[in-house]
Amino acid sequence: MKLALTALALATTLAVGNAWAAGRWDGADDLAVNPLPCGNEAAPAPAAMAYDGGMATNAPDKVGKPITLVDVPKLIGIGYFNATSKGIHDAAAELGNVKVTTDGPTEAKIDEQVKFIDNYLTRGVDGVLFASNDPVAIAPELRKALSRGIHVVGYDANAEPNAREWFVNQAQFNGIAKAMIDSLVKEVGADKSFGIVTSTFTTPNQARWIAEMSAYAAKCYPKLKWLETVEAQEDNILSFNQASTLINKYGDQLSGLFGMTSVATPASAEAVTQAKQCGKIAVIGLATPNAMKPYVKADCVKSVVLWNPVDLGYAATYVMRAIVDGKLKPGATSVEAGKLGKLQVINGSEVLLGAPFIYTKDNINNFDF
Amino acid sequence: MSAALASAVPVWRRRRLQVSQEWLLLLGIVALVIVVGLVNPRFLALRNLQTILLGNAYIAVAAIGMSMVIISGNIDISIGSLIGVLATVSGSLAVAGVPLGLSWLIPILLGVVAMSIMGAFVAYLNIPAIVVTLGMMSVLKGGLISVTNGVWISNLPPGFLLAQEKVFGVVPMPVFLMVVLTVAAAWWMRNTSAGRSMYAVGGNVEAARLCGYHRQRTLMMIFAVHGLFAGVAAVLFATQLSVIQSSVPANLEMTIITASVVGGVSILGGTGTVIGSTLAAILIAAIANSLVFVNISPFWLRAVQGTLILVTVLADILRRRRRAKAR
Amino acid sequence: MNSTQTQPAPRGRYVPPRFRLAAHESILGIILVVVLIALGFLTDRFLTVDNLLNQARLMAEVSLLALPMTYVIITGGIDLSVGSMVGLSAILLGYSWHNWGFPLGLSIVFALAVGTLAGFANGWFITRIRVPPLIMTIATMALYRGFAEGISQAHSVRGYPDWFYIVGQGDALGVPTQLWIVLVAIIVFAVVLKRTVYGRALYAMGFNEIATRFSGLSVDRIKLLAYTASGLMSGLAAFIFVSRVSTTRSDMGMGMELDAIAAVVLGGTSIFGGTGSIGGTVLGLVLIQLLKNGLALTGVKGDATIMVIGSVLILSIVITNFAQRERYADR
Repeated sequence: MKLALTALALATTLAVGNAWAAGRWDGADDLAVNPLPCGNEAAPAPAAMAYDGGMATNAPDKVGKPITLVDVPKLIGIGYFNATSKGIHDAAAELGNVKVTTDGPTEAKIDEQVKFIDNYLTRGVDGVLFASNDPVAIAPELRKALSRGIHVVGYDANAEPNAREWFVNQAQFNGIAKAMIDSLVKEVGADKSFGIVTSTFTTPNQARWIAEMSAYAAKCYPKLKWLETVEAQEDNILSFNQASTLINKYGDQLSGLFGMTSVATPASAEAVTQAKQCGKIAVIGLATPNAMKPYVKADCVKSVVLWNPVDLGYAATYVMRAIVDGKLKPGATSVEAGKLGKLQVINGSEVLLGAPFIYTKDNINNFDF
Repeated sequence: MSAALASAVPVWRRRRLQVSQEWLLLLGIVALVIVVGLVNPRFLALRNLQTILLGNAYIAVAAIGMSMVIISGNIDISIGSLIGVLATVSGSLAVAGVPLGLSWLIPILLGVVAMSIMGAFVAYLNIPAIVVTLGMMSVLKGGLISVTNGVWISNLPPGFLLAQEKVFGVVPMPVFLMVVLTVAAAWWMRNTSAGRSMYAVGGNVEAARLCGYHRQRTLMMIFAVHGLFAGVAAVLFATQLSVIQSSVPANLEMTIITASVVGGVSILGGTGTVIGSTLAAILIAAIANSLVFVNISPFWLRAVQGTLILVTVLADILRRRRRAKAR
Repeated sequence: MNSTQTQPAPRGRYVPPRFRLAAHESILGIILVVVLIALGFLTDRFLTVDNLLNQARLMAEVSLLALPMTYVIITGGIDLSVGSMVGLSAILLGYSWHNWGFPLGLSIVFALAVGTLAGFANGWFITRIRVPPLIMTIATMALYRGFAEGISQAHSVRGYPDWFYIVGQGDALGVPTQLWIVLVAIIVFAVVLKRTVYGRALYAMGFNEIATRFSGLSVDRIKLLAYTASGLMSGLAAFIFVSRVSTTRSDMGMGMELDAIAAVVLGGTSIFGGTGSIGGTVLGLVLIQLLKNGLALTGVKGDATIMVIGSVLILSIVITNFAQRERYADR
């Protein structure tokens, strides 16, 4: 009797689950998508926006003086944030009057990240660099920092605009989407099918990229078929298993795999290699060069990663220094960032890193991170 | 409470109870394979079955040791962190040029040592296992990141990847090890005095003591053996992919514990076999894989998995109650 | 977990539980004072009113979870699903307000009701169907989290009215609002445990469930109430959490169960059941939170901090066990 009840519960769940399966997942934040023009048409210049960032109240004057910063990435212990951290520390060393500590949670949990920032606020820092796990959840803590005169600059993953002063953006969401889809089409053609391996459905950046990717693909390559998206946390072996499952499920139908995180891409490449599908399934995505070297050397993966995370961290430190020195004020249209030169300001309070950076067989050996 | 009932049931009858759970799991696997195979025949492709077994063999092996710990009335929450650490050690040794055999063997030995230390805390200092392992979990996790800074281990030497080796030309090494170790452990636990002492200590400590089983020595042995299996699991974990993610895999301990309890190992101690836990590990992996094949909405994946775990567990409980009543 | 398991047979003069526990709490108190002094010495930002009140704000959710967890562990059970119940309640708070159009006040009540129901379901299966608590709560840990993910479809709900944030981010009479809620909860749980029949029954059940059953106490109802309380507190913690971070996410509460359990066992509650106190749990909570905070303030980084916490957990239990060993003087 009870077994029957539980079997009924199971059946209901499956039915409910399948009912929901009809809805395609599309990037979970209700924001509008804005696909770029197809092909090689230049993107329309974005309209200049008013500054919408927050302001540090009564920040102490530290023009030219040494400052202490803390860098709190989404989590520590993965190659991507090791790279951004390296860039941040490189810039600090170059500037000479910046001291940075990188510290963060061992899991990508917003609550842990907030606690880390909070402790450093209590300790007393001059500025906070962050890559947020959730743009809204981190906002109260960042506003608290601003209200204490502590400068706040984000990189990689944004927060609500008024919770930080500036955000260093590696690339526009729609720009990344365009680059990813274009790379895939270049490698396999415009009428094939692809799958996506991501971290979780609630990771904001990844969710936005996927939403933009599907909008761009629908607009420019209507024959391109999006098969499925699977979650794999930040776990290498789970990503490998999920990618393998996709390969097993779709067989010849699958022509490309997108890896949306620096963990998912090498794992997908590994899955393709072990399934002996190199050359038949393209692997494209975000990853650090070191993780991808074996696959690029074996010609299994043609091109990797869309920006240089070390440069991203480097720019963030320079932006922070510029704010403290009064060189970057609301309304500015560009900022000097050391060896990167002049970086453009977009969307009111974002600093754009620049054009995507593609790692290929020819240049991947020049990098060690 | 049920431990008292369970120990009142004669041993031969109890063995029937255990066998039932394993048959139930086997039936579950077969039913799943057939049903999903009908819905999507690609599920049955050898490649996919290999993905299921190969990718999860290390969980089954770790569950062998975990089952022993649970049968003896304890629990180990540090297993995930320990596997992360030992896998990193294995990879680091291989990259540093240590001979392959040693790169596989040393982590296993370290596993035995680490678990024995924890076992000493439990056996001689009388600290509850959950406390020791909860503490060690944090120590290992933090230590791993401190030492490695999250840098992945790549450039593994050729031949290191056990997952690529095939025994008899057909069976992948991890699967082979999983089966052999499960059978060996099951035999050892049923037919040797040392093996049976686990059940005794888990079932009724005083009675065990009166039978001559020394509680402390038995606990040390259990944890040491658990460490052995943890080490083997870590090596299997490390030798799957061309890079080793030198961090602690999230939630690994819960997955392993779930495999053990779904396998029929009673948390009240005293019953269960490792064959059940291996079958359960396979079943859970098969469920996760099959849900992708039947197009369950990705958002409901975990809910369905949780329901299936609950159903399996309930079936086990109800079966036991019916048997106990029928006695 | 049953008290006839691997707990060693006591030899020598028997010491009644209350006395034993008082020793544990005193030792824990001494450790806490030592830690406070040491950390206060190493950094001047630690022992400030601002910092301490802030820490109280940040640990409110885990504190609420640890209170009924004490009850559950005293009865010899465990509840690993509290983190998932927090996630589920949080998601339904936002979902019912945003998607079903509930007035926000009703949504909050709904979230509490969901948590209570989830805890009740745990308790029902544990008492009626006799599923061992560890197994049941491992299953519901996955199940409730799965419901949270499925219902939310990875959407977050944000944009609450200003009054909603008072509980999580605001102050009342100079003290963080949620601290008042936690204090009231602590008092209620402590009084019930020490001064009511229900509380006595919890201890009795943890010590010897069969004897308690034969004494005429409704063991099932007592357990059911404990697990339901666990669910209710999860719902309350969810409300405070959402108010504090101003959004809902389906991964909220992940890992909180282990934080709560660590605090409870650190506080002297035996995992085998039969002993424990709310005071001990509170000491455990405070010690862990202040250690994390103090170490960070002295410049210790995250990875080293969790190593220290793990070691402190083990060492504290070793010390308290050792101190209590003396009780069994005549061997």
